[in-house]
Amino acid sequence: MLFEDIWKILTNGELMGYYFQGFLHTIIVTFIAVGIGLILGFAVAIIKISAGNYKFMKIPAVICNLYTTVFRGTPVALQLFIMVFAVFAIPGFKPAAAIITFGINSGAYVSENIRAGITSVDNGQMEAGRAMGLNWLQTMIRIILPQAVKNIIPAIGNEMIALLKETSIISMVGSTVGTLTFDLNFASRTAYKTVTNYLATGIIAAVFYLAVVYFMVFIIKIIERKLGSNDKRGKHI
Amino acid sequence: MINAVNIYKNFGKNEVIKGASLNIEKAERVVIIGPSGGGKSTLLRCLNLLEEVTSGEVILDGKLISPPDAYLHEDILRLSKTYKRLQKEGKSDEDIISEIRAKRLLKNGEGFAFKRALKETSAKYGQDINVARRKMGMVFQQFNLFNNMTVMQNLVYVPVKLKVLTKEEAKKKAENLLARINLSDKKDAYPSSLSGGQKQRVAIIRSLMMNPEVMLFDEPTSALDPEMVGEVLSLIKDLANEGMTMVIVTHEMGFAREVATRVLFIDGGKIAEDDVPEEIFSRPKNPRLKEFLSKVL
Ligand SMILES: Nc1ncnc2c1ncn2[C@@H]1O[C@H](COP(=O)(O)OP(=O)(O)OP(=O)(O)O)[C@@H](O)[C@H]1O
Ligand SMILES: [Mg+2]
Repeated sequence: MLFEDIWKILTNGELMGYYFQGFLHTIIVTFIAVGIGLILGFAVAIIKISAGNYKFMKIPAVICNLYTTVFRGTPVALQLFIMVFAVFAIPGFKPAAAIITFGINSGAYVSENIRAGITSVDNGQMEAGRAMGLNWLQTMIRIILPQAVKNIIPAIGNEMIALLKETSIISMVGSTVGTLTFDLNFASRTAYKTVTNYLATGIIAAVFYLAVVYFMVFIIKIIERKLGSNDKRGKHI
Repeated sequence: MINAVNIYKNFGKNEVIKGASLNIEKAERVVIIGPSGGGKSTLLRCLNLLEEVTSGEVILDGKLISPPDAYLHEDILRLSKTYKRLQKEGKSDEDIISEIRAKRLLKNGEGFAFKRALKETSAKYGQDINVARRKMGMVFQQFNLFNNMTVMQNLVYVPVKLKVLTKEEAKKKAENLLARINLSDKKDAYPSSLSGGQKQRVAIIRSLMMNPEVMLFDEPTSALDPEMVGEVLSLIKDLANEGMTMVIVTHEMGFAREVATRVLFIDGGKIAEDDVPEEIFSRPKNPRLKEFLSKVL
């Protein structure tokens, strides 16, 4: 019965079209949100950390703290509704508003990952740079960040994977075929109208999600390996 | 060369340096000794402002490198609200100034004119700390080589970046210095592959790359295995013989006696004794110094 239903979907061009469209939209939404999250998270982390050195960064740092507290402390679904139906209640702007929400939400987590990565670098590295006459920013960019990246990449990888799965709630704000809110999850719900078997429609969506996650893990592993070989060179000669 | 005037340093409520003044002349080799927790490292780090001083001034070659300290400038003190308040009580000018200084009465918010005077002073006599630090090499107990860079990159990166040397000059100088410490074959190695003694010697020549006027050492051998202490001390002695000005915090008393032109004994956040090594080690006056020496010698 199950295999029969799965087969029914796989051989149905229209349904598979929905799945591929959803697959593509899920990737696009995740990709853009990850980009927003990375840029925002990086900026917020640097602002928070620089407040220890530059007095004029104190107020921006307070704002950043408020931001991370709010966005990590409330459900994404709630944020999505508020952003789509209140903050950005502009006709036709729904998919963009949703993507921005995921990006901002992700940025809050990413900033904490980056901050933790930076603070895990021995403080002596900053002191040595400063003692030689580099300023804070120069030391941060050339000495601290390159060492922090190794600690940050795995955490950011996990965050990206979590974000991919989080985007599955995007259709909660309403979804129509052909717009970015029509994601993998909604494709499987659409397929259910034809093949009334949640297990079958779900399994196919799951396979698509797994494929993306697997691909992400693969990329992260490559990056980690590249970075890992950098400053350990010479250790095993 | 370095003038530290009435330095105070608090960590929160904990007063660590309580009014230390210190004058280091060219070619002097000042060794700082004292019991653990007495504030040796803190005082040393105040000299290049790795620790912001709470009050007091640090002057390098006649230029103010710390923020100006209002307590040291009578004309600035007279602009403060505290001064004006005390003046209403009918006290003499001299009494008011000495009372403010003795009781360290200044608070935040001493008025606009007061703050502006401080700013003007720093604009007039001050030097950017990042520029000043190029003249002061610092060697740390934990070496602090840049872990993301090879030995060669550690040596050339900062002097080239800050335009103290050109790329070619820096490379040549680095090669000469590496040859001098017999580590030419390690120039492409990363710090993680060096021994402690090697790391510290590279850290020392990294400071030399900037052509410093003075070198600050904070327990340069305390993190080393005993068999590596010698190689680092002998490099420092060589620099001493070449006339480098140095301030060295150390627990190596034999080395202190040999290399110092002057020894400071720091206890409880104050400079408790300041004399030539013969006097400090043979005829100590301060009872705490006597007790300290009897323990370490
Ligand atoms: N960053 C800091 N924050 C708070 N307290 C500090 C800090 N650095 C030093 N202290 C305190 O200041 C005091 C003096 O410390 P310092 O390191 O200057 O002593 P020291 O004479 O160098 O001792 P040692 O011989 O153990 O190195 C100690 O009580 C220490 O706990
Ligand atoms: Mg110390």
